[in-house]
Amino acid sequence: MRAPKHRGSPVDMARMRGWVEEFAGYRIAVNEGRIGRWLQQFEEADRDLAARLLDVVDFIGNDQIAAAFREALSGLPGWSPDENRRSGRWFFVAFSSSAGESGDQMLHRFRTANNLAGRRYDYLFHYRSELLMLAPGEEDTVVLIDDFAGTGNQACQAWEEVYRELLPFGPRIYLILVASSRHAREKIRQGTEMTPHAHFELGDGDNFFASACRHFTVSEKEKILHYCEMADPSNPRGYGECGFVIVLAHKCPNNSLPILHVRRRSWEGLFRRHD
Amino acid sequence: MKSQTTSTQSDLSPKAIGVKELSTDKLFPNPHNPRMLFDKDPLRILRDSIAKVGILVPLTVYREGRSGRFVILDGQRRWIVAQELDLPTVPVNEVAEPNLVQNIVTMFQIHKLREDWELMPTALKLEVLMKELQERNEKKLAALTGLDQAVVSRCKKLLDYPRRYQALMLEPEPAVRVKADFFIELYAVRNDRFVNSLDWFDRNDFTAKMLERYQNRKGIKAVTDFRTVKQYIANSRKAGKDKEIARRLREFVEDVELGLDHLVIRAVDVTAQARKLEGEVVGLRKLLHDLDVKSYYGEESLWAELEELLRVIMRRLEEAGRRIRK
Repeated sequence: MRAPKHRGSPVDMARMRGWVEEFAGYRIAVNEGRIGRWLQQFEEADRDLAARLLDVVDFIGNDQIAAAFREALSGLPGWSPDENRRSGRWFFVAFSSSAGESGDQMLHRFRTANNLAGRRYDYLFHYRSELLMLAPGEEDTVVLIDDFAGTGNQACQAWEEVYRELLPFGPRIYLILVASSRHAREKIRQGTEMTPHAHFELGDGDNFFASACRHFTVSEKEKILHYCEMADPSNPRGYGECGFVIVLAHKCPNNSLPILHVRRRSWEGLFRRHD
Repeated sequence: MKSQTTSTQSDLSPKAIGVKELSTDKLFPNPHNPRMLFDKDPLRILRDSIAKVGILVPLTVYREGRSGRFVILDGQRRWIVAQELDLPTVPVNEVAEPNLVQNIVTMFQIHKLREDWELMPTALKLEVLMKELQERNEKKLAALTGLDQAVVSRCKKLLDYPRRYQALMLEPEPAVRVKADFFIELYAVRNDRFVNSLDWFDRNDFTAKMLERYQNRKGIKAVTDFRTVKQYIANSRKAGKDKEIARRLREFVEDVELGLDHLVIRAVDVTAQARKLEGEVVGLRKLLHDLDVKSYYGEESLWAELEELLRVIMRRLEEAGRRIRK
């Protein structure tokens, strides 16, 4: 987590413009008006704290996502854009693909980022339901694409309930993520046959409430927790108690603080997850 | 994958190699096992038994050619318990590595399908068997796998859908996974001969629109609503209202604001008749429920009529695609 501005720094035009520029790529426009209204939800005495929280939001823009996917694929052993120089067969699959969910979007971005959007590359991209019949074997590579893993629970559960059955012939399996917590990566690595690869990795210091996060005092963390409880009483520290402040351009993970993304009568997040 | 076109049941059983003891931690679950999750109560009973007398029936395992590791063909629950009890070794009966078809068939036969399991993974395995064995007959597939014929039929319906819809049934997040029942119930309308003869009708477009309605609770609130749609179409056609039901169906598909009642053509509405029949069935059920069997023991013609009634009921339930719980 990067450092916020000093306490008492004014919320002036320059700072506001900095936020707007930083968050410009979010799927729902983040403008000065919305930032102002978001800050107004905090009591006056806490607005400096809220502004400092915005300073530390880790925003992953579309360019960074594309770069992450390019770097990830180019680093996979045996991959080459040239079919003749590739090792075995390759299968690219959206890890999750329900209508409008992140996985499908991510697969599309993965294609464009790696110049694989042309129809001549269609044969590389598959639905999960094709995997058993395609039977990737030990010489082959399956690349599952998704955006984020916060706890690793969903990935491990998906492995047990879905993927293990669909990939019984021992291919190399990579789970390519834009970002992941270190804990999730370790859990996926140990609990499944997938090798996770995340461009951005979050550690203990990225949990806002953890003692390793030294940019905010205990009392400031308690104040933020109070607002988070207002926003989402069931997951005030974010799903899995991750306490992250990460926002991806296409969607804010639910592992991030609820005051950033929740949209309810009691709270309007700046980075709401749904339209 | 080796193709088998003339397999017999014995061809589909892995060949025995021998019994020995293996380290518990050297065994691996079978990737074709339909599910890793097992009921807790039977596991507890098994655990008590194994804690007292050990594992009496060896596990069946094979050595996987590609990895060299031992994979469980039969006995995964015993293995789970052995791990829980920290048993260092377990008795195993090693068999030759089964081919894909043998493995899938064995897993089907050991792990009888449970109602709460997702059907799509089973359907995909059945698809592999159908391809490898060149067999599509539901009765034969049911006999081969030990699956109920109705389950085979349901699986085949799922396999009729494009891959992108099948993938929705394999969604990792259970909360957003589309249930197989949606596609199975939709199938009756989607594959209706009359509906398919309509020049504007496109199966995949229809599927997408119905899915959208269902997910947004717009006009389709339960998967069984498609039975009602089918009923409205059938009754309208019986009354010679083909054109009108075709027009209404098109409007229903295109306008998400229209509800199911848009398909009701009053002149052919059978709802009142259905309620009347339902009342009579309830009356008969109550009479039969209260019947003192001993008092009527020798009334042969009554029992014969009841047997015939049962046959008719079973036939009608089957025609209606109902799952009959015994």
